[in-house]
Amino acid sequence: MNIRVVKREGAGMGRQIGAYVAAVAAALVVGAVLLAIQGVEPLAFYQRMLTLGIPGNKYPFRILENFIKLFVPLLIVSTALALAFKMRFWNIGGEGQFILGAICASAVGLKLGESLPRPAVLLVMALCGLLGGGLYGVFVAALKVKWGTNETLLTLMLNYIALYFLQFFAETKGDWNFFLDPASARPKFIKFPVNAQMLTIPLGPFNLNLSLVAAGVICALIFVYLKHTKGGYEIAVVGDSPSTARYAGMPVGKIVVRTIFLSAALIGLAGAFYVSSAGTLSASVTNDVGWTGIVVAWLAKLNTAGIVLASLLITVLQFGCQSASTTYPSIDANFANLLQGVILFAVLAADFFTRFKLVKQSKEVA
Amino acid sequence: MEEQRCAIEMRGITKTFGSVVANKNVDLNVRQGEILALLGENGSGKTTLMNMLSGIYKPDSGSILVDGTPVSIHSPEDSKRLGIGMVHQHFKLVDVFSAADNIWLGDEKSGPVLHKDRYKIIADMARKFGFAIDPKKKVYNMAVSEKQTLEIIKVLYYGAKIIILDEPTAVLTVQETQKLFDVLRRMKQEGHAIIIITHKLNEVLEISDRVAILRKGEYIGTVDTAATNEQELTEFMVGRKVDLNIQRPHVETTRPLLEIRDLSIRNDEGAVAIDQVSFYIRGGEILGVAGIAGCGQKELCEAIAGLRPIEKGQMIHKGDNIVGLSPKAILEKGISMSFIPEDRLGMGLAPSLSITDNMLLKNYREAPGLFVDRKAGRADAEQIIRDLEIVTPSTETPVRRLSGGNVQKVLLGREIKAGPNVIVTAYPVRGLDINSSYAIYDILNQQKQDGVGILFVGEDLDVMIGLCDKIMVLCHGKVMGVVHAHKTSKEELGLMMTGALDLSHKYEDKPSGIARDSQFQEGEEKG
Amino acid sequence: MDTMNVVTLFLFNIVLCNIPLLYGTVGEILTEKAGSLNLGVEGTMAVGAIFGYLAGCAANSLLVGLLVSFLAAGLCGLLFALLTVTFQANQNVTGLTITTFGLGLYFFVGKGIGENWPAMTGVPALVNGFANLEIPGLFQIPVLGKALFGQNALVYLGILVAALVWLYLNCTKTGLRLRAVGENPGAADSVGVNITLYKYVHLAAGSGIMGLGGFYMALYMSGSFEGSNCWINGYGWIAIALVIFANWNPLLAILGTLVFGFFNTLKIYSGALAAAFPDGLGWLNAVPPQLFKALPFLITAIVLVASSVRAREGSGQPAALGLNYFREER
Repeated sequence: MNIRVVKREGAGMGRQIGAYVAAVAAALVVGAVLLAIQGVEPLAFYQRMLTLGIPGNKYPFRILENFIKLFVPLLIVSTALALAFKMRFWNIGGEGQFILGAICASAVGLKLGESLPRPAVLLVMALCGLLGGGLYGVFVAALKVKWGTNETLLTLMLNYIALYFLQFFAETKGDWNFFLDPASARPKFIKFPVNAQMLTIPLGPFNLNLSLVAAGVICALIFVYLKHTKGGYEIAVVGDSPSTARYAGMPVGKIVVRTIFLSAALIGLAGAFYVSSAGTLSASVTNDVGWTGIVVAWLAKLNTAGIVLASLLITVLQFGCQSASTTYPSIDANFANLLQGVILFAVLAADFFTRFKLVKQSKEVA
Repeated sequence: MEEQRCAIEMRGITKTFGSVVANKNVDLNVRQGEILALLGENGSGKTTLMNMLSGIYKPDSGSILVDGTPVSIHSPEDSKRLGIGMVHQHFKLVDVFSAADNIWLGDEKSGPVLHKDRYKIIADMARKFGFAIDPKKKVYNMAVSEKQTLEIIKVLYYGAKIIILDEPTAVLTVQETQKLFDVLRRMKQEGHAIIIITHKLNEVLEISDRVAILRKGEYIGTVDTAATNEQELTEFMVGRKVDLNIQRPHVETTRPLLEIRDLSIRNDEGAVAIDQVSFYIRGGEILGVAGIAGCGQKELCEAIAGLRPIEKGQMIHKGDNIVGLSPKAILEKGISMSFIPEDRLGMGLAPSLSITDNMLLKNYREAPGLFVDRKAGRADAEQIIRDLEIVTPSTETPVRRLSGGNVQKVLLGREIKAGPNVIVTAYPVRGLDINSSYAIYDILNQQKQDGVGILFVGEDLDVMIGLCDKIMVLCHGKVMGVVHAHKTSKEELGLMMTGALDLSHKYEDKPSGIARDSQFQEGEEKG
Repeated sequence: MDTMNVVTLFLFNIVLCNIPLLYGTVGEILTEKAGSLNLGVEGTMAVGAIFGYLAGCAANSLLVGLLVSFLAAGLCGLLFALLTVTFQANQNVTGLTITTFGLGLYFFVGKGIGENWPAMTGVPALVNGFANLEIPGLFQIPVLGKALFGQNALVYLGILVAALVWLYLNCTKTGLRLRAVGENPGAADSVGVNITLYKYVHLAAGSGIMGLGGFYMALYMSGSFEGSNCWINGYGWIAIALVIFANWNPLLAILGTLVFGFFNTLKIYSGALAAAFPDGLGWLNAVPPQLFKALPFLITAIVLVASSVRAREGSGQPAALGLNYFREER
């Protein structure tokens, strides 16, 4: 039998969604088989995972608050990365930009936390996070524009440089190192002063983290920016065909630099939000959000609304596995990564069937 | 009967891409020791048909026979094994490899280890077929004709009995074409079956034994070359008698709108692409630019649009120097440039965006505030769809999904909508059928009557003679002269394109390329 | 400590600790020469490491360990090939997902085995297999002899693999075809090179070689599984950097491994070296160890920028790197 691969003329929305649901289901089935092999009841595990361990917990709202602390960075980072990917700029430097944002925000938070009122401190922290992340990203964009430097590999390298920079602060005791707690003999990051900790809005027993509101606003703004503004239009054209953009008189270099600054700055902002929500810097501040964000952006096809859904799904997986693994000690919290991998594999494979179709040879070709 | 045996026979071949039928029920046969010309307009399905022999595509239905035996070709590998070799229009060569290694890639005779003697083997073999190549020369150092020679040697080395050449003369000079034809004749004598794809009638008549004609993907018929003539072939090709009398309305011309003085430009590789060129365009005239592919047309167009830095010289628009202005500033002066590259979508359109969004490409900045005015874009899109009879499901359809003719109408429609005073257009009818082409000529003539100055870079000399008022011929970046279209002939233009005839100093009483009533005063020159 | 001994030990450890980088790099070079950028080195090495180690322990055989690590990692390569070649998925995303998935699998399996985790000391074949071999004659060279020619068998295997891959790429016809696939798949396809087959085979083989590096890492870490830190510990990422540093040349990769390894090891030995040579190297104490960790990435970043500033002349980077090939594209 002869089967040929033919490009499809645009896929329907329904087919797309169907493929995604199937992909998630397939991943859960694969996961269930693995769990069963380990001797864990898959349904019970999944139930624990999907409910985030809330039922039966004494402080269900605390769990939700912690969930939000993980969800916000992922949401912002994914949205920001999608901005760069739309322009076919492979910013895989989310980790590094996040770290730089976190370090800069922590520095001002610790320095000014005692002397300025809380909203002012938080605002300055956010600004410094924006700048720190943005500058770390924009310099790659500038090199790419000027000399065509491979941004995939360069941002990858910069991630590790940033990581070791952070480790340097985390592990070096010294009078100058105000990041560390002077009271502790072992190097340990100091807790932020109260004024440098993220504001929360009390709703009964639940404290709504202000950064969630900010993230929602950012997503909405980015959605409008991409869809309706001149800047967003320019991104679409540059991403689709740089030569056409140049031809239309667009300053392509400037647009790339501007957009990557925005992308990296938002990632830095996410870093700032994270440290002020956590109330301290940490050596593993990113939670791999720079990598996971890429997965989320891709799962969502760079679509802002899709990103909200996908980052919610991934956070549920990660947070849920974390809490379920406390009940099932034989299952590692990294089980979430495994599931996430399988979901993306299934989606990538499913994408193929929405972009291409297989055609059986109608007549025998002799 | 032995002579009559077919080297290749294709029966009832059909191939579709999505909703586009590229080949419909095509029959074709070629005998051993014969040259078959495959004739058809651009987009008539010649290359697609041949790619089914070379294993790039698979037919949807129909059968292929080699030496009378039914075969199925699933891949280039199968094709090679059956003794079919194809020289593609876009060479399939690895740039960083030497000539010998490019051939050695597909070699199946030698052992698994690379030996130094491969260079000698290839050189000897090439000499046997009457070619001289340097087997160690890297492809990126080769001229176009060298690359083509290498492709032919490659095919011969693999022992091809059936050789397909896809528009081999498109990139060659007249002399190089003659050399190629000598090679083809020699191969024919050695018993090879040759299929040559072309749409140049004179070449068909010169080289082929028989001619097979395709029109819009359909097989029209095969005729003996000796028993036909240009007129008949043209009829077969386009389906009806071509009224090559394209209209050329007479319009009062204005003073020069765009003047180019001593312009020199370098190409991407840093070589001189345009060498001290001077010319001017008046409002109400169409100036044609003729030349072999790669003679500097592209660089010239890009320079005028501000997309390519110029080495030296001046470009004067209505008396103002536009050298060094940004593409945006040049756009705002009313100079429009549209360039249809070979893939049709590379420059001027964003293929994944909708027609509406593409309409906005040059004027999206004009909307007040931060936001893009899609309403205006949609209105513009609706208007050009109506005016130019563009076939599309809606204004929100991505341009990529439109057929070639409609894509070009969108591009040209947008350019004209902007109301420019100078239009630079390169290959606006590339790949279009006759009717669409005429629609485009009408658009250009309308603009000319409205007093716009038009620079028309074209391929088809007949069209240029019919449409343009004057024709400038470029050869290796130099102007060979500007001639009046109604006074020149294809022969004269052909000679100029190859550099055999230089008319640039024909008029001794005035320097060439500089208008007497120039809007450009030397005094204004700065620096 | 004897000053000469410190130098010897330092050099010895540069080689001993960093050979996994060479495996990873050579595997990635083979992959990239086929035109595919696989960012999944870290995950692939992790998968090779854990399965190779467990199989080696179960069978009490170094060879089984090597074989299984090669095969398990090779499967990751096949998965990458399936997604990017057959399903035309984006290579960056697929590679990163391989890493996520591979690390997830590593921890899942490791944690799942839990208390039954086999200790390497109980597996004589692995302990012996990883023991140092002294090459007669060369071992007697002062300082260098002990450092370079008293290593374990897998060190020599790594260098052998690098040399063989170099020979394969440059001196065989399949190697020539492979490079053509990475440079211009359309050209290779037109002369009958089966692109799909070449990509599958070399992506799988490249990943398999990375897996050997993972297995090495497992043995080097004495197979002691920690719940928090993966054995591979970022070596996969350094390997991707090293490919660029080595200009896609497996022989230069050996040199690059030593250069990167120098910094990697310096962070551990800076104290000992400073103590042994207080006059010349005393300043080493003042250098933060994180700088040594970051240096390989810093150097690669500089190489990357510098090579883009100079034009592409002489670069070994395949022209079609990272681009998927679809024959009927038009």
